[in-house]
Order: sequence, then C-alpha cells, then structure tokens
Amino acid sequence: MSLGHHHAWLPPGHLRPPDDHHDSRSINGYSKSFSGPRTPQMRASVDADGSHAGNLISEADMAAEEDPRIAIFRDLYRRSEAKINNLFAGQEIAEDLVGAAVADADEPDTKNERADEPAPPPVPAKKPARKLDDDDYDDYDDDDDGDAPSPPKPKPLTPSQESSAPPPLSRYTSGTTSAGGDVSKETKKESLEDIRKKLEEDKKATEEAAKRSFHTIFYTLENDRDAMLDQQRLEESERQVEAEMSSQANAGNNATSASNGYGSLSNANLGASSLTLKNLIARIDMKRTMVQASDAELRSLMSEVRKNRSKWASEDKIGQEELYEAAEKVLSELKAMTEHSSAFLTRVNKRDAPDYYTIIKHPMDLGTMTKKLKALQYKSKQEFVDDINLIWSNCFKYNTNPEHFLRKHALYMKKETEKLVPLIPEIVIRDRAEVEAEERRLQLAELDGAEESDDEPIMSSRGRKAPGKSSKKGAAPARNTPSGSEPPAGASSQPSAPARADSDVPADGTQNGFATPPPGTQTPSDPAGAAAGVSGSHGDSMEIDGLAPSTLALSALSAPGAEAEDPEYKVWKQVTKKDRALIAAERHRLFKGDKLNSDEPALLRTKAGMRRWLRNQKQVNAEGDKSNESSAQAMEPGPAGGSLAEGIEVEEDKVIPDYYDVMSGVPDLPGQLLWREDSDGNIVDASEEFLRILPKGTFTQPESKLSRKMDANMRQMQETRKICSKIGIVKQMQLQSQMYQNQFQKYQPEPFVEHDVPPHVMNDEGPVVSPWVCKAALQRSVAKIFYHTGFEEYQPSALDAVTDIASDFFQKIGETFKSYIEAPKVPTSDPTDIVSSSNQWKKAYTEPEIVLHTLNSVGIGVEDIESYIKDDVERLGTKLATVHDRLRSLLSELLRPALADGGEDGSSAFADGSEQFVGGDFAEDIDEDFFGFKELGLDKEFGLATLSVPLHLLQNRMYNAAQSQNTSSTQTVTLFPPPPPYPRITSETLPSQIGLVQAFFGAKLQASNNEGLVEDLELPPKQRPMAAKPRLPASGKILPPSAPAGPTSSPQKRPLPPTAPSQQPNAIKPGPSEPSKKKVKKNSGMALEIPGSIADGDEAAANLDGTKTTDDPTSTNMDSKDSAAEVSGGPVTKDTAMPDVTAAGEGAGSIGDATGDPNKSNDSTAPLTNGTAGVTS
Amino acid sequence: MSTDRTPKYRQEIQQMMFVSGETAEPSVETTTLIEEIVRQQVVEILARSTTLATRRGVRSISTDDLIFLIRHDKAKVSRLKTFLSWKDVRKNVKDSDDKGGADAAEFAGADDPLAGGVVAGPQDVASKPKNKRARVGLAWDVNSFYSVQVPERDDEEDEEEEEQNYATLQRLAAADERTKHMTKEEYVFWSECRQASFTYRKSKRFREWAGFGIVTESKPNDDIVDILGFLTFEIVQTLTEEALKVKEREDREKNRRGGAENDSGETKKRKRETGLFDPPEEGRTPVEPKHIREAYRKLQATPNKNIAMLLHNGRVPARMPLRLEGHVYFAGVRVDI
Repeated sequence: MSLGHHHAWLPPGHLRPPDDHHDSRSINGYSKSFSGPRTPQMRASVDADGSHAGNLISEADMAAEEDPRIAIFRDLYRRSEAKINNLFAGQEIAEDLVGAAVADADEPDTKNERADEPAPPPVPAKKPARKLDDDDYDDYDDDDDGDAPSPPKPKPLTPSQESSAPPPLSRYTSGTTSAGGDVSKETKKESLEDIRKKLEEDKKATEEAAKRSFHTIFYTLENDRDAMLDQQRLEESERQVEAEMSSQANAGNNATSASNGYGSLSNANLGASSLTLKNLIARIDMKRTMVQASDAELRSLMSEVRKNRSKWASEDKIGQEELYEAAEKVLSELKAMTEHSSAFLTRVNKRDAPDYYTIIKHPMDLGTMTKKLKALQYKSKQEFVDDINLIWSNCFKYNTNPEHFLRKHALYMKKETEKLVPLIPEIVIRDRAEVEAEERRLQLAELDGAEESDDEPIMSSRGRKAPGKSSKKGAAPARNTPSGSEPPAGASSQPSAPARADSDVPADGTQNGFATPPPGTQTPSDPAGAAAGVSGSHGDSMEIDGLAPSTLALSALSAPGAEAEDPEYKVWKQVTKKDRALIAAERHRLFKGDKLNSDEPALLRTKAGMRRWLRNQKQVNAEGDKSNESSAQAMEPGPAGGSLAEGIEVEEDKVIPDYYDVMSGVPDLPGQLLWREDSDGNIVDASEEFLRILPKGTFTQPESKLSRKMDANMRQMQETRKICSKIGIVKQMQLQSQMYQNQFQKYQPEPFVEHDVPPHVMNDEGPVVSPWVCKAALQRSVAKIFYHTGFEEYQPSALDAVTDIASDFFQKIGETFKSYIEAPKVPTSDPTDIVSSSNQWKKAYTEPEIVLHTLNSVGIGVEDIESYIKDDVERLGTKLATVHDRLRSLLSELLRPALADGGEDGSSAFADGSEQFVGGDFAEDIDEDFFGFKELGLDKEFGLATLSVPLHLLQNRMYNAAQSQNTSSTQTVTLFPPPPPYPRITSETLPSQIGLVQAFFGAKLQASNNEGLVEDLELPPKQRPMAAKPRLPASGKILPPSAPAGPTSSPQKRPLPPTAPSQQPNAIKPGPSEPSKKKVKKNSGMALEIPGSIADGDEAAANLDGTKTTDDPTSTNMDSKDSAAEVSGGPVTKDTAMPDVTAAGEGAGSIGDATGDPNKSNDSTAPLTNGTAGVTS
Repeated sequence: MSTDRTPKYRQEIQQMMFVSGETAEPSVETTTLIEEIVRQQVVEILARSTTLATRRGVRSISTDDLIFLIRHDKAKVSRLKTFLSWKDVRKNVKDSDDKGGADAAEFAGADDPLAGGVVAGPQDVASKPKNKRARVGLAWDVNSFYSVQVPERDDEEDEEEEEQNYATLQRLAAADERTKHMTKEEYVFWSECRQASFTYRKSKRFREWAGFGIVTESKPNDDIVDILGFLTFEIVQTLTEEALKVKEREDREKNRRGGAENDSGETKKRKRETGLFDPPEEGRTPVEPKHIREAYRKLQATPNKNIAMLLHNGRVPARMPLRLEGHVYFAGVRVDI
C-alpha cells in the first residue's frame, strides 16, 4: 500500500522545483521540510476547499510525499538503533526492538492512509509518537472501515486525494455502504470499546517504551527542577482556585429531590460508579423482571452501595457527577502538563499585557475554568470544551507572531485537549425532576419497547463512558462521525440518548469542525446542521490561528527533533514529569538552603519501593530472557513474583527510573554471599570459593642477602655477649671471695625467630587490614635494627617512638611513590612509536626512575643505602667478628690453666706437666715465700725450682663457677643410680666396722646415748664442727712450725672425689704414721679435692660420694699419694706434715666453697688472692 | 650582638682562607662575616653538646659529646681520634719525661691494687705500653657494645681508619700540589698560614670569644678546645671553598654576559681577552661577603631527608635547626676539590 502510495505521489514530488533544497533539509528530520514545500500545495488545497481539513490533508500529503526519503532515513535510523540496542540488551531485546522497529516502520503507512482519509490531522501526528503495535493498527483499520463513510459528508475530498489514494477509496465506498446501512449503535459502541482498549494499550505501550528506555538511557536530572517548579505553580493555582471557591462553596449543591422509580436501571445518574458496578447493573438489567424492587428502590440501593460518591454527586442534577468528574480530570490533566500549561494557569495580567483585554474579549484560563467548575457553572460538556478551546484560541489570537513561544505551548495544549476531551462523557446536566418526567412520559409512550430501551441506556451510558475513559485518539471522531447520520433514527425514539450521542460525536470531532449544540440543548436538533454551523466558526478560528501552528504542532508531535529533542526523550519527559516533579520537590524540601533540613521526616526504605525496584530489575533481566514476548508480557511475572507481601503497603506505581528512587535500591550481592540453594533445598556453601588463607611469611622478614647478613651479625653479637658474661663471671670471682650458686645469671640468649601470624583466613584478596599486627611487625623489625646497632635491650616507649617515626617515614615514601606511579601518562616522543597508534602513551616514569625519584625526594640516595650496607652491616660484621675473637682469646687466657689446658676433669692439667706447675717462678721473682716452702726446707728437700703454687690450684673456684655455668649445656649424665647411703653407725652396726675404729665409734655412741652417729655432712652447714682455722698473719706468710698444725676438733669426714679410685691405703700408710686417721683423711681429702671438685661441681653428688668415701676407713688413694709425692718430690716424712696441713687448710677452704659453706674459706682465700695477684703481676 | 663586637680573628681567618685557596686579600667585611658565622657555629656546637652532656647527667661536656655531633662525618671523626690519641701519647711522654722514673711509678701503681681499690685483672696487667698511642674509644663504637672492655691488639690494623684517612690524604695531596712550586719564602708563609688556629695558644681569647661560661657552664678541658680549634678551621675552610666556587661561577657568568652585551664600561674592560702574558692572578678579586653569604646559604640548605622527616602534613616547619658546617654532607663532597 505504501509503495503504491509512493509511486502515486512521485510525480507531484518531481514537479516541485525546490526538491533538492528539501532534500538537504530533510536530513534533519522531517519537521522542517514541512514549512518549505507546503506553500504550493497549500494554495491548491485552499483553493479546493478552504477548510481546515483540506490544509491538513495537503500537509499529510506532503508527509506522504516526503516518505520515500524519510523512510530510508528512518529505516537506517531504526537499524542502527536496533544495533545499538543489540549491544546493550543482548540478542533478545534486539529482536524485540527490531520487531518494534518494523512495526514503527509501518507507521508511515498508517499515517498516509489516514492522511488520505479525511481524518483529522492530529491523528497521524500522534501515531508515531506512541509506538503502536501492529495489532492496534489492524484494529484501527477495521474501525476505519466502519467509519470511513463519514468523510465524504462533511468535506469533499480533494481531487488530488482522490487520485492519490485509490485503495482507501475503495474502502471508503465499502465503508460508506456499510455506514449507509443502518449501523447499529451496538457496533459502534463495540468499536468504541475496542478503541478504548487499544488506546489504553497504546498508553501503556508508551509507558512501557519509556520504562524500557530507563534501562538503556540515562537521563540527567537537569529538568527536574523545571518540572518541580511547574508542578508547584500548578499546585499554587489550584490552591488559589480552592481559596476563591471556598467562599462560594456549596453554591452548586442544590437540594436533592426524591428519587423516583424508573423503568430501567438506566443509571446515568449513578455517575462514575456505574463503571465499577457495571456488572451488577448489567445483571440486574438482565433479570429485571425477576427483581421485585422498583427502580427507585434499586437506585437508592445503588447509591448506598456506591462508596465513592464524589463531591460532584448531586441527587438533583442528573449527569452532573459524571460530567464534572471527567471534566475535572481533564482539567487537572491539562494543568499537569506544566511544561506547556504554566502560561495558561492564571488569568492574563494586565500589567504583563496591557492590550490583552482589548484584543481578547473573552479571556479564559485554566484557573478560571477550575473556578467555574467548582461553582458548577458548566451545564454540559460542550460548555466546558468551549472554554478550554477558548483559552487556546485566545492565545493564538493574541500572539499573532507565528514564532511566538506561547503559540507553541498553546498548540501543544490544544493537541492534548483534543486527546482528552473525548474522555468527557457527553452529558447535559438536567434536573432530576425533568428527567423523571420524561421517563414517565416515555414509559407511557412505549411500554413494549421497554426492553430495548432498557438495554440502550445502559449500553449508551457505558458507551459514553468508554471514550471518556480511554479514547485519546483524535481518530475517534472520525469514526464517530457516522453517528451523525443516526440521530434522526434514534432521536425519535430516545430523545436523551441520541442527544448525547449527537453531542458526543461533534465534541469528539471538534477538529473536524463539528460543533456541539449550545449547552443545555436537549432538543434533538439536527446535528449535521449544527455541526456545520459551529464547525464553520470553529474551523475558521482554527484556520486563522492555527494554520501555521497546526503544522508546527504536527511537526512537533509527529516529527521528533522539532524541539531538538529526540522522541524518546520527549516521551520520557512527559511520562515521568509528575513523578520527577514530586521527587524533586521532596529533595528540595529535604535540602533547605543547601543544608539538610532536620525537620523533614527521615528517609525510610519502604517495602513497596524495594519490591518495585526488584521487579524492575527482574524485568530488565526478563527482557533479556524472553525473546519474542512483548514487553507487556514480560512485565507480568514481575508483579506476580513480588506479590508475596503485597497489600501491606500501598504500592504506588511510579513511572520513574530506578535511579530516581535511591532509597529503594537493593545492592547486588556478590556471588559468594548470595543465599543459594541447590535443587534439594540445601544451602550451597560458597565459602570455599572466596575464603583463602593468608599466605605464609606476610609478617616475617623476607629472606634476602641483607637480612641474612644482619641475622648473622646478631648471632655473632649474642655469641660475643655470652663470652662477655663468662668473662664477667671470671672477673667477679676474682674480686669476690665467695660466690653463690645463683649469683650469676646464665646468659642463654635465645636465637631470634620471627614468628609468623597464625593461620589466618581471609575473605577475598587484598591486604590484611590489621593495624596492630602490622605495627607489631614493624616494631619487631625496628627492634631488630636496634639490636643490630648494638642495643641489647630497650624501653618499650623508645621502641614505640621509633616505630612511629619509621611508619611515618614509610608512609611518606609510599605516598611519594604513589604519586609518581600515578603521574599522568605522557605521549611518546619517539617518532617511530607513533606509527603504532596503540601505544602512543607511555608511563611518565619507568620503574627505576620512580624508585630513584622517590628516594631522592625523601633524601636518600642509592649511595646512602649502599654505604649503610657496606659500613653498618658488612663492616660491622667483620668488626664484630674481630671483637668476638679478641674476647674469646681473653676468656681463654683467663681460664687457660684450668680450662684451656686442663681436660674435662682437670686431671690432665697435672698430666701434661704444666709449665706453670713445674716451673712456676713468680714467687722466685718477687723473692717471696708465701707458703713457707723455703722455711720448711721443702725447696731443698724436693729440689723445688720454684716456690709457687700452681695457679690452677687456686683457680678451681673459678673453674667450678665456670662449670656450673656450663652445667646446663654439659650436663653429666649419671649412668648409674647413686648407691644408697650407708647406714648410720649404731650400736648394732658397730661390730661390722673394722676393729681399729670400733673403740672410737663406741665411745662416740656412748656419748650420744647409743643413738646413731650423725655424719657431719648430714648436718646443716653451720652446725658442723669446725676444724680450727689456720690463722695467717697479715703478711700472708705461713709461719714456720711454731704454728701448730691445724688441730682438728671433730671427726670431720672428707668427701672423696668420685673419680678417685678407691685404692688400698698402703701407699699412704708408710708415710704419715703419726697423724690421726682424720688427719690422713684430711690430707687425702685435700689432695683429692682439686680433681674432685674440678671434676664435679655438683653438690649432691659430691656429698654422696663424700659420705661413701668417709665410711671407708681406708680412704686414701693414689692421687693423694701422687700429689703429695709431686709436691714434696720425695718420700713423705714428718716434715711434710706441715705443708700437708696448710694444704689441708686450703683444701678445706676449697671444699667449703664447693659445699657452699662460706664461712670456712674466708680467711684462707684472701691471702691467696693476693698471692695470685702477686704472682701474676 | 655580633655587629658591635670587634673582630678578633682577622688574621687567622685570612690565613686559613689563604690555605683554603683564596689568594687575594679578603676585605675586613668578609673576614668579619666569616668570623661571625664561625662563632655562631661554635656556640651552636657548644650548646648542643651541653644538652647532650646534660642528658647524660653530667654538667661538663666531654670530647665524646663533641664528636657525637659530627659522628656521621667519618673522615673528621677519624682525624679527631688520631689527633686525640697522639695528643695523649705526647702528654704521656711529656709526663714521663717530667717524672723521670715513670716506669717505677707505673709499676708502683700496678703493684698496689689494693690501694687503688681495684683488683687488676690479667688484661690490666698487660696494660698499655708507654708511648704506644691508645685508641680513643667512642661510646657508639662496636667495642662498646659489650659489657666487657675489648682488649686492644696491636696486630690488627684499623682498615676503617685507613679509609677514613683517605680524605685527609687527599687534602694533603692537594696542598702538596699547591706548594710544589713555591719558593722558600712562599712556603714559609704558607706553613705559617697553615698553623693558623683559633685556639692554639689563644685559649683564653677563644673562650671569651666563643662564650664559654655563657653557653656552657663548665671550664672546658684542653681536648675540647683543641677539637673546637680543629672544627673551626674546618668551618672556615669549607666556607671559603664554597664561596670560591660561588665566585667562580659568578665570574664565569659575568664573562659570558659581558661577551654578549658590550655596552657597560666595566664589562668592556672585562671582555678583553686574557692575553698570554697577562698575570693570571692580577685580575682576581677577593671573595666578597656576598659570596660568603651565598656559600653559607647553600651549606645551610636543609637536606631532603630532613625535610621529608620534618614535614608535618605537608608543611615545612618554619624554623630548621642550624646545620653544623663542614659536616657530613658537604665534607663528603668537598673531599675531591
């Protein structure tokens, strides 16, 4: 069809000279092209018919004429659009849209078609703006068929039209015939019903399209403010009206008259509620005969049942409620189009336009209309519509300049009016009394036709309502036109209904020039004539004023881009305007003067909002899922799914993108946190997917050359400190006469081990955000450096302070580093690189550069770091090693005789013939005879080369201490359990003793009342009987024989060294015959003491051994003899007794020390130390 | 406080400057300026070491306090250590010379440990041989890491010291280079100049000048004054060298600019090419106060590290502590001039 069209239209198009010119312009969209090409044709059409329709037809022709090119552009546009959508919404949506695009593509055809018909121009105009489905279109065609006959009647077709549209013509003819035949009201109403539905769908589709665009286009909020202001103005004007009205309130409310019975439930007077109750009413109507109640009863029942009786309801005035409800709605709708309506909201101010009232005799504005409405001044729809139109025509009349912006607004408003006016039922308000009288008359007149008339009113009322509810299309009037032919038929039988039908038709078709009868006319005047009459005036006014504007309007509505806006945006703006305004107003309230208004109620999430949001999201997804289903269908599952908690809150359906409703947004849950269930209903645990264990070593020092070196240095220091502590002990022992076992703390440094954090499970990648752990780790590192620098210990506060400084410094480094990394990229200067356009940009700094820059800016150079490593780490290492060596040699020097040369038990100190021992000469050097060797003649006797006592004999204390230091490391493992202590000597065990001691022990036992003899060693140290201490003079010299040998007052028993092999005592016996057993024992004890104590510093073991050995009466051994032999260097004579004794004294001292008794050795040690000093110096 | 006082060290400073490379005779203003700078530095040094001493709980400053201030300048520390140890040796020798029977005295001391209240350990017995210079230990040396005094050993050479002496050797080499072609008289003058000191044989004047008793309470011992003498010389030298460099740069710039614009008479004169037979030193002008000032400014420039550490939320603190001249950073750079 369209093709034929285009072909048919080609010639005239070719004939037109300024074709090229238009071509170039048409690129911009078809809007502008209208203004140009119009002229030639217009003249023709004007010639042919001065009517408004003629003009429009010619324009429509133009549009059709433009079509081939436009179609191409549009097609291209659609395709690209579809592609874009494809990109965004995936395949399915794309298909959907392509389908839509195809449907849209058909629209030009419909337009053409309709243009060909005498249908009012706005119809095609509106069509593209809304996206019609194919279905709609088809239906529409049907309607056209039915309605077609009308055109010939009001206006003759222009010749061009006739010739150009043969196919429509054929339809016309058929339509004409069908129309010519009695088209029942039924069919008409049916069609009206259909139209209404379609229109509703249309509207829905528009909203859908807009909604869909929410997800593909982001609209800025910049228009919100305007929307809000407009809305405010609207509200303001309404309030004004309200205020004005309140004074004259209730003026329109007349006393209600009693309801009368009526033949049928023709419930026009039930008003708007009739729709809600229509099923009931239909039912009642159907079974009217069975219902016993009278009409009046029913009616009152109805009115009681009816809940929402509006403020307009009046018992007196039939039809008032419906008319006023509809009218008010239309009015508010018009006012709500704030974008355009704001200028018409209030009366024109004389100050603004001084000459306004000279030009405009009958001013009108929406506010005044509201006032009038509230004052119940409208008696019929026509009055109301006239008033509305008066506003626009006033505007056109006053603002003669075709470019005036107000005209644009007025035009738009006019179009809207045309859309809305059909919503108003064609009602003429009448007094109830009158109506009832009429009814009665009718009842009397046609009793048998009651059935029909029963039906009729109901249907007609519904029919009336139908367009009122939904019809928006300007096409409706065209369809309705046939009804114009009806009145004669209907009027005779049903005066009221036809009258309404009549008035309905022209009202709908105001455009066509049908004028309604003057308000209040109930007489079934000839509608055709009346229409013609009024249409003349109306049409004229339209022509005069609206000629240019109408084209403008055409362009504005049919052609996107007229306002430099794309249609989608426009649609969006329209659809969302109110909601946006509301939201913006809310925002505005919330932020008063750029400050949060604390008085405003808090923003709260609503379930409904969130549900809506979720539904929208789902819908978007659903659109992706469902390929071929229409968006309306896709919409379905959403509410169904979300209706679980429905009804708790009122769900207001806002047509607004989600991003406007920030309070309702529900964030996407990351996959791992989602509550998922598998098919069995078990919860899927996604934790494995995102939980991870912190890798080891995050909080420890990474292994590196430097760290190894530092660690080695620190170990070295620890070792050296160990040596230092030993040296310290040695020195202390030299200073101190006695020592306590626990006097010296063992220096047992623990090796440095950096403990990592315990296994830590983290959620997702990323650093551990745990400042305390991190700080602790840094503190440890700092402490390490401290130790490395030589501090052995430090105060926590110092450590804290340095750690803070360090972290501060590192933070600065990090910041600098970051700023260098994030430096904007620079274009590559290298010309060769430019060839490859991909990497025209490079980082401003390479990585080494970044590092160097950073270091420089914090004042560190590579040289500094290098010198630190060299001097403070490496060289320190060598220095430490040197110091360590020195200290070790110092220690070994200190311990040389006892430790270095002596073996484990010190016995080898004797075995190797130590030079000190053999050839000690210090005493000789200083010519001192400390021990009285000379005076005793020992030197001569034994041929002593020197008079010195071996140093290590004197240093055994030292050795013991050193040993105890090492006990933990060199713990002697006792292979065998110590033998049980010997039983005490009692009178029973006495006989088992050897004969020699029996008498002695017997006496002792007697003295102690035959109780068991207590060993000296079992006594606490202070109670032990003391051997008389050998007193030495201040000079330290041991006096010659005059001093008596240390008398032993007690049967002190000496421990024998454990190592001492118990040997037979013969060896010693020959020598000292004279000394008592104790003396011998003492002697041997002394002699043995050195090796014994050296070998074993362990107290308990020594005691045990001692007791054991003391019980052995023959406790002498080779060692004692050996030592004695060595010291004396000859046979033991009586003379040797003295040195023995003195030595015994020393030995006692040693033992005392070894056994931890401090008292004994006091005197003997001091000189010795002196002696040592003397020797060494 | 500085402007009204009469300069006290003009001659010394002049001599020091001569040694440092300034051949022309500097003006009084120059030397006065240098003297003031040096004085400021000395006062600063004294104040800081007094703070250190106070922190130790001691009223009088010790050499360690002084050396601690310049501890990062290894070359200087090493020189000081050497100096102090030799000074010690000299003193010992002098003492023993005075006493005559030094040996006996020493031994007497060692023989009487009880009297001394100290029992000498074996390492003490092997005490320092006379005339062997003892190492000056510093509190922050490795040796002081441990509780036990680390025994000295003769056989180990301190390689560090060798390295640190490198700077000194360089300087000596440079001086040698300068003196190579000197006549005898010149050399005598030179060596005289080298002996210039703020402190040598002017101890009293120095104390007054440096504000002893005001800045620090104590009566300084000899060592401290000597160290200060050494440091002051270093300061003058550093300043002079830096100022010479500044001046040289300025002259170069002037010459170049003079070549470019020949209008001013002065530049015309300057512009004249230096002839083959022109006396090289003749046109040379002495260092002026402005050069000294510039040099001082440069030397006082805060190193980046300090800035980084002292940045408080991006603000450089209004006042930076005075830097001690002839110290770490610049000394390191200076070496090879």
